[in-house]
Amino acid sequence: MSIRSQLLIVGLSTLVLPWAGCQYARELETALRASQEQGLLASAGTIANALSAAPQRVFRDGADSPPFDPASGDLYVFPLDRQPLLDGYREDWGIAQGPVALPGKSSHGARVQAGITERYLYLYIEVDSPHFKPEPSDAHPAHDRFDRIDLLVQRPDGALQSYFFATNAPGLIAAQSLVAGEDGSGHATAEPRIQAYWLQSKSGYHVEARIPLSLIDDRLWIETRSGADPPPSPELRAIEQLQGGRLFFAPRGLDDLLATFVREGTRATVIDSNGLKFGVAGHLDAGADEPAPPMFSGTWFRRLMAGDSSALPERSTAPDRIDGPPATEALAGHLGTAWLRTGRRNLPVLAAAAPITIDGTTRGAVVLEQAGDQLIELRDRALTHLFDLTLLATAVAVAFVFGFATWLGIRIDRLRIAAESAIGNDGRIRLGMPEAARGDEIGALARSFESLLARLNEHDQYLRTLGGKLSHELRTPLTIVRSSLDNLESEGLTEEQRAFVRRAREGSQRLSSILSALGAAARVEESIKQADRVGFDLRELLISAMGAYQSGFPKVRMELRDPPDACFMRGAPELVAQLLDKLVENAVDFCPEGGLIAVTLTRGVGHYELTVSNDGPPIPQELLGRLFESLFEQRASRDDKPHFGLGLYIVRLIAEFHSGSVSAANRTDSGGAIFTVKLPII
Amino acid sequence: MKKQIAIVEDEPALRENYAAALARHGYQIKTYANRKLAMQAFNVRLPDLAIIDISLEDEAEGGFDLCRDLRALSAELPIVFLTARDSELDAVSGLRLGADDFLTKDVSLPHLAARVAALFRRIDALRQPADAAQILRRGALAIDAQKLQAGWNGTPVVLSLTEFWIVHALARNPGHVKNRQQLMDAANVVLDDETITSHIKRVRRKFIAVDAGFDAIQTVYGMGYRWVE
Repeated sequence: MSIRSQLLIVGLSTLVLPWAGCQYARELETALRASQEQGLLASAGTIANALSAAPQRVFRDGADSPPFDPASGDLYVFPLDRQPLLDGYREDWGIAQGPVALPGKSSHGARVQAGITERYLYLYIEVDSPHFKPEPSDAHPAHDRFDRIDLLVQRPDGALQSYFFATNAPGLIAAQSLVAGEDGSGHATAEPRIQAYWLQSKSGYHVEARIPLSLIDDRLWIETRSGADPPPSPELRAIEQLQGGRLFFAPRGLDDLLATFVREGTRATVIDSNGLKFGVAGHLDAGADEPAPPMFSGTWFRRLMAGDSSALPERSTAPDRIDGPPATEALAGHLGTAWLRTGRRNLPVLAAAAPITIDGTTRGAVVLEQAGDQLIELRDRALTHLFDLTLLATAVAVAFVFGFATWLGIRIDRLRIAAESAIGNDGRIRLGMPEAARGDEIGALARSFESLLARLNEHDQYLRTLGGKLSHELRTPLTIVRSSLDNLESEGLTEEQRAFVRRAREGSQRLSSILSALGAAARVEESIKQADRVGFDLRELLISAMGAYQSGFPKVRMELRDPPDACFMRGAPELVAQLLDKLVENAVDFCPEGGLIAVTLTRGVGHYELTVSNDGPPIPQELLGRLFESLFEQRASRDDKPHFGLGLYIVRLIAEFHSGSVSAANRTDSGGAIFTVKLPII
Repeated sequence: MKKQIAIVEDEPALRENYAAALARHGYQIKTYANRKLAMQAFNVRLPDLAIIDISLEDEAEGGFDLCRDLRALSAELPIVFLTARDSELDAVSGLRLGADDFLTKDVSLPHLAARVAALFRRIDALRQPADAAQILRRGALAIDAQKLQAGWNGTPVVLSLTEFWIVHALARNPGHVKNRQQLMDAANVVLDDETITSHIKRVRRKFIAVDAGFDAIQTVYGMGYRWVE
């Protein structure tokens, strides 16, 4: 693992900052939620108490609170915001919920919905009547059978009054009431104050009716009849005998009363003991219903912070009633709060409910709803900011650490590359180290490398000159030995003595050739200093030298592959010849008897390439780069000639004198070695 | 009367060995360990030939100074450098100071004696009138084997003894390649490849100084050299 990755991981530890911020935010959120719950609950309690003190403003019947039973014809009356147009349609009522089934003995289905404005009770009745039978022109409503809607209304004075709607042509009609005539048979009289709009539809008809509130108290029975049904019995029963038919609505003005209690962003609903909505004021925050796209950071922050709100119970959206907690709790007489979810995005909504208790009886409840994030919004904004800042700080820290690590890595890498290439393929030592001028640890390391290399270089220099020095220093004593032997020979020795002298001379000659070999590199360096560059034909030199080698080394085969024309270059031909000598000698040393030594000359771009390849054992891989070092010798001596590993060093010296290069490799067929010298043409 | 040879050499064993060998050839030998002693003696009486080492005791280049002083005393006195130093620079410096030959200590005593004899022969020959029969002519080259002198287009070319013998060996059989061993044998000397090369180079340079177009000595790479006319 690189330093960069290691430090990157270290840098990532700063992520603990935003994490800590998150934890803090969570705690803050819990506290805020609790306080929001308390606050809302307190408001709900206040409103409930205020309403309890004025029950007549909440309930039409101050004492009674009957159960809501749709099956017996009880109807919830929706408060209508504005006067609808009497046109047979209920679309302008603005109520999302459809009409509910009308219970009754009728053989066909019917549905009804009620609404109330300041002055009128509106009814919308849909009847399925596939075989519509219109009212005959001179109908006798007590006997004739036709499609009709019968209403039984409790008048404000407590008496019952029946009406019916029927028509022979769709359009605006008035209700008719049956008036008992003197002959005992009733006849129909129009009641123009009760109007309706009758419309035929595919499956039957629908009627939008309007009854002034002055004609009706709070009970109403509706029956529909098709042409197949018998007309209703004319006698009116006492009201006590009738079941259901109750209209559930609050006294006018409850909404306004409620509105005085409600703060912005809060919705207050008063429900009766059945859970039916009696009054509504205020609005939830728009964000709760509308999916307004918040800021990017807000989104993911909220997602991260708010947890999963989809597990919350769904907020009831029925337009007529509120079910579920906390309303049920309140109707049971307790204060209650609950977190609900709403909308497509499952936004949290806080609901608090308090019971309205009149004379010790729970008659209803106040439900307050508030967008869950309303109070939290402020916190959100601050924390989002904090979160963004810490995240930015983390990013900056990580980027800085990463950058620093990269820089460090680059420096160390540079040092490593310099250290690895300090000893070049040619054995030369480069002393300079990058980073050495720096004052830090890496600089110190670079300086250590430098001093190490300097010492190595000194040693290398010493080795390089050692041969020359040895050869020089040993020459005088050797000369003494040899000249003494010369003198001794002239002294008239016996045959036996001569033999000893001869051996001594042989020894001294061998010593002399050793010294000469040792000093070879020094002499080449010397002659390089003196060398003149002249123009010469490298190819001609090769041809001439190869002829000599073939006769000089008869045991191997020599082959020259040269270009067809002259290869002129500038340089010292005698040095190049010496370079070739050394390469060929080296090749001969490793070439088995009868093997092939191939010398090729090719013209490259700006240089000539001279290769000497020989059959024989491959060069061990680890030696390839070291062959051209001074005094580098690995072979076991196979002959009497002393080897000091100077031959290839001399090749290198001469190649470098010509600004060329030399390299060694194994042949691709691994059947031998190949040495390549590149010599610039100029 | 015996010819007197002065040997200036700070290494006693070597000095005595040379002295013994040359004495055996009938020369009278005087040996000196340093420049001061040698100069004192030379001021009194010049030897017939001087063999000088370059580094003398504490004077690294004492032999050069001695050569210069000696040449000032006599223009004809044969002076031979015999030294362990074999750098080309030393050789060039020594010969430029007027030495007749520059030998490294690899030279064997018989070879040294042969050289000394040759130098004495030349002194004698110089006193004789020119003997046309002894003069070898190869085109512009004229070689007097007796006087150990060479000339190019009539202009004398001053060669050291070794150089002269190399030129002589090459010019005697023009066109024949002489390898290094043959040249060493001819020059009565044991030299390594680099030294032969530098000798040839010096010879060429000396002829070129007389005639810029000189290219009679040809290198046959891997083999040796030959004289072409």
